[in-house]
Amino acid sequence: MAQRMRSPYVAVAAVAVAYLAVAFSIENTYYQLMITLMLLWSVMALSWNALSGYSGMVSFGHASFWGLGAYTVTLALVKFDIVPWLGIPMAIVVGTVAAVLIGYPTFRLRGHYFALAMLAYPLALLYIFEWAGYQEVPLPMKREHPVLYMQFADQRMYVLLAVVLLVVAMLISLKVERSRFGLALLAIKQNEPAAEAAGIDELKWKLFAIMLSGALGSAAGGLYALVLLIVTPQAVFGVLVSAQALVLTLFGGVGTVWGAVIGAAILVPLAEMLNGELGSILPGIQGVVYGMAIIAVILLAPEGLYWRVRDWLVHRGTLQPSAALAIGSRPQAGLVARAIEPAALPAAAGPLLELRGVSRSFGGLQALQDVTFSVPAGILQGIIGPNGSGKTTLFNVLNGFLRPDQGEIRFNGQSLVGLKPNGVCRLGIGRTFQVVRTFPRMSVLQNAIVGALVAAPDDREAEELALGALVRVGLRERAGVLAGVLTNKERRLMELARALASRPRLILMDETLAGLAPKETDELLELLQQFNAQGLTIVIIEHTMRAMVRLASNFIVLDHGRMVTQGKPEEVVHDKRVIEAYLGKRWMDRVNT
Amino acid sequence: MDVYPLWLENTLQTLATGVLVGGAYALMCVGLGLIFGVMRVINFAQGDFMMLGMYAAFYLFTYLGIGTVFGVYLGPIVAAFLAGPIVFVVAWVLHWLMLSRVSGTAAHGVEGEGHYAQLILTLGIALVLQNGGLIVFGSWPQSIRTPLSKEAWLLGPVFLNESRVVAFAVAVGLALLLYLFLNLSNLGKALRAAADNSDAAIYMGIDVDRAHRLAFAIGIALTAVAGGLVAMYYPFQPYVGLDFVIIMYTGVVLGGLGSIMGAFWGGMTVGLVQQLSTLILPIQLQNTAIFVVFLGIVMFRPQGLFGRSAERM
Amino acid sequence: MLTLENVSVSYGGLMALNGISLQVGAGEFVAVVGPNGAGKTTLFKTISGTVPAAGGEITFAGQNLLAVPPAQRPHLGIAHVPEGRQVFSSLTVLENLEMGAYTRAGKAKWEENLALIFQLFPRLKDRTKQLAGTLSGGEQQMLSIGRGLASAPQILMLDEPSLGLAPAVADAIFEVIEQIHRERGLAILLVEQRVAEALESCDHGYVMESGQMVLTGTHETLVSDKRVKQTYLGM
Repeated sequence: MAQRMRSPYVAVAAVAVAYLAVAFSIENTYYQLMITLMLLWSVMALSWNALSGYSGMVSFGHASFWGLGAYTVTLALVKFDIVPWLGIPMAIVVGTVAAVLIGYPTFRLRGHYFALAMLAYPLALLYIFEWAGYQEVPLPMKREHPVLYMQFADQRMYVLLAVVLLVVAMLISLKVERSRFGLALLAIKQNEPAAEAAGIDELKWKLFAIMLSGALGSAAGGLYALVLLIVTPQAVFGVLVSAQALVLTLFGGVGTVWGAVIGAAILVPLAEMLNGELGSILPGIQGVVYGMAIIAVILLAPEGLYWRVRDWLVHRGTLQPSAALAIGSRPQAGLVARAIEPAALPAAAGPLLELRGVSRSFGGLQALQDVTFSVPAGILQGIIGPNGSGKTTLFNVLNGFLRPDQGEIRFNGQSLVGLKPNGVCRLGIGRTFQVVRTFPRMSVLQNAIVGALVAAPDDREAEELALGALVRVGLRERAGVLAGVLTNKERRLMELARALASRPRLILMDETLAGLAPKETDELLELLQQFNAQGLTIVIIEHTMRAMVRLASNFIVLDHGRMVTQGKPEEVVHDKRVIEAYLGKRWMDRVNT
Repeated sequence: MDVYPLWLENTLQTLATGVLVGGAYALMCVGLGLIFGVMRVINFAQGDFMMLGMYAAFYLFTYLGIGTVFGVYLGPIVAAFLAGPIVFVVAWVLHWLMLSRVSGTAAHGVEGEGHYAQLILTLGIALVLQNGGLIVFGSWPQSIRTPLSKEAWLLGPVFLNESRVVAFAVAVGLALLLYLFLNLSNLGKALRAAADNSDAAIYMGIDVDRAHRLAFAIGIALTAVAGGLVAMYYPFQPYVGLDFVIIMYTGVVLGGLGSIMGAFWGGMTVGLVQQLSTLILPIQLQNTAIFVVFLGIVMFRPQGLFGRSAERM
Repeated sequence: MLTLENVSVSYGGLMALNGISLQVGAGEFVAVVGPNGAGKTTLFKTISGTVPAAGGEITFAGQNLLAVPPAQRPHLGIAHVPEGRQVFSSLTVLENLEMGAYTRAGKAKWEENLALIFQLFPRLKDRTKQLAGTLSGGEQQMLSIGRGLASAPQILMLDEPSLGLAPAVADAIFEVIEQIHRERGLAILLVEQRVAEALESCDHGYVMESGQMVLTGTHETLVSDKRVKQTYLGM
């Protein structure tokens, strides 16, 4: 077990030793340069992977970091005679700051807009550096102090430096993969709303990711300038740089430290060699190779080489399937699988949840209109109403996906209006979704851990909480299975476990019973009643009343965004307005006649 | 000759140049806007297809006899027009072989990570075109040399470069033709319907994948013709697409992503912004000014300056 | 005319439809009712081809429908009026109807059908140049049905035409649907939550739950069946 845990570090050492061994056993300085470039591009690919690979926000502008790193080191040396030993740390600072400046505004954008905006940054920098007169900046030769200025006569010293940088980058990446950082990013990538609702502060983690990206990218760019001894805006800010970072990672495999390393180890020498052999007759061959590689990967193996080979090995039985992340992929020894209890309620005066005059409209459609009700602690509150009556909108307003146009929402005395979903979750409100939102390529346990992160500051504690939640819903045996293969009922249970793992005081459940067979429904109902008996407050939306009349102690009926009535199930079901809302006016007419 | 204050003369001249340049940009943007509007695919290679259009026009004019047959005045325009169908075929084939496999109904229901496949694929196509262009066409800057580029009409104090005027007129004319096609023909309406709601379009019996292919090829052909026109006054090399791709996207975003005719006005605006920026900024920064506008729009008014947003978030 | 036999659909391991069988004869009015999440919309999408079937057979007018590409199916005479209306909001009302008439039969009978649509929905006639996105919900529903009729179909499939509409508007829509069926003899397949409206006018009804058909019968038997109410109200 301990052996297996360390194996990635052995692999990192093997990569480092292999590169050094090859570099030191060959005499040809051209090949040594190529090895340096492979190493630097590996770091750059890791930089891209740190943001885009883990979080799924695809960046087309990583050249910003590479270029800023290169220019920081170069200009520090040229203008202020600052040695690269200081210049590279400076580059890292510049890259990290730039990452924040780029990330903070840009993360507000989604999809297409994000991709386009990221493309614009390096191009803008390119023109600015050209305009500022840095079209071609050679590094001055400092032959008297080669070590101080990192101007080694022996190419192999650069290989050594680059190996050190790569090892650092790989170790950081592994650390990220194996911590809540990586898990949070992966959750964001697989299902953003679910991650937010489970208490993951998206913006925070994305900013961390891009800062790491900026630091790694600019460090590699800085060393690149020293190796090539000349910097031009086109060479360091050009589209090819951003594209190369992306291609190498995609080719090798996204979302894993090995993908970046494999991609660089194959494509960089291939492109360099073709360029060396044919560059004089076919000047663009390098770009063509990268372009073809991208096209081939997208069309033939969109998951990349690493995952392809891995899947194949798993398929052959050579490897055990396991998720990429260590946190939760091998539960730690001595973990106690204790069923968790809901968090104790502080004795607050008044109802647990209180809504007053909540309204929300979309364009002309009034989805919620002046909804007022309160939920006392400890009850099982049902919200019913026909399709399109505003039930899900109500939940989205409650847990922060939507802001109410008007009205006040208080939880345990505290206002929820204006909080983001992760903030609402932090206060103790869990949520499940109408269409189950899983993280399909994570194990069941990892799914639950995502929910537990908010309640546990320590990763091990989070694992414990998550396991406890799985025990509670009866999924302990399925903890290691990928969430994507679960049955409908198991998904519902897992989502419930994810919500429970955050130790909520209140759970919002949206049509948890949809699509379940009668027997499964019964089992789930029993479970919910148990939780409720233990003190968990549950607000549940359900379209079908059949199950609800057995479950809820109180009903709220919505129709066309308005609250029609509220009361005990048996009263509500015989309410004329309710029957009309469900079965239509004519049904009523016929019943009456 | 009348005497105008220098600042006024400068401003008028810049405005005129902005409008003229903007006309060609508008046509490029309409081409790109059509593709995005119908397919919801960001095509990074749009600038490089434009580059293909430039070279196609160049070779047609210089080596394939269009220049000799139609003369130096009409020749460049005919060459630019003929570049359209040539690039149309290239785009059609590329869509059929590659893009259709990751977009349209093939990507139906794909969310999140999935839609990046399309972007990344067009990035790959862009790299191959740019660098393949370098191999095939060489890195030497070319231009379509015609007397139009050197001659100018005088309007008051303002010089109107003849090649730009011609490019403007042809570009605006083509954009108008596209407008008529989309609004009057049954096929054009079907394209708009497929852009608006592809599921409902299928329920109407519209072959959405074919609509995508058509929109992609038409959009690229229009941009290629715009490139052929611009080639009369703008020296080009295989990497020229990069200069234009952000210009095009700025125009499309200004017009509101998804609005095809919004893209026309967006392109016009970009031309004006680019030229007007030279009044206060060094000329090398004119593209940076566009990036600033672009980022500003994307951040603060993602629905575009004109009209409503058609982007479904 | 339209026959589904043992049709199944799965979304990533989840059975959305499980062995559904259903028949609509020429000129028949068939209703499918059932609570939310029962799989009614999936059923329609499977017939239209936007959701692939995992098993079973669908035949339409003797032809194996599953072998026909989705975009060709409307040309055979199947009109799908989708849930939530889905009009082309950036096209005008008239253009929307023209898109409905994109089918070969629709083009041939354009004038005649347009007159019929305007007669059924006079409000659309006053708004031909208006963008469909600016219509009210009820008007959009009328347009969506009109668009379906414009294709000169053999069968009109209506997915929850009352969704999100005020009761009076929904009633008016139902009346038109009945009128279309009565006067034109058009086969209708209706999916509805409003049980009474749906079951009252149908020749034959099905009750769906959890991707399966749980009840089936003629109009008379279903209307008086207590289990229908139970499916909805639980008691």
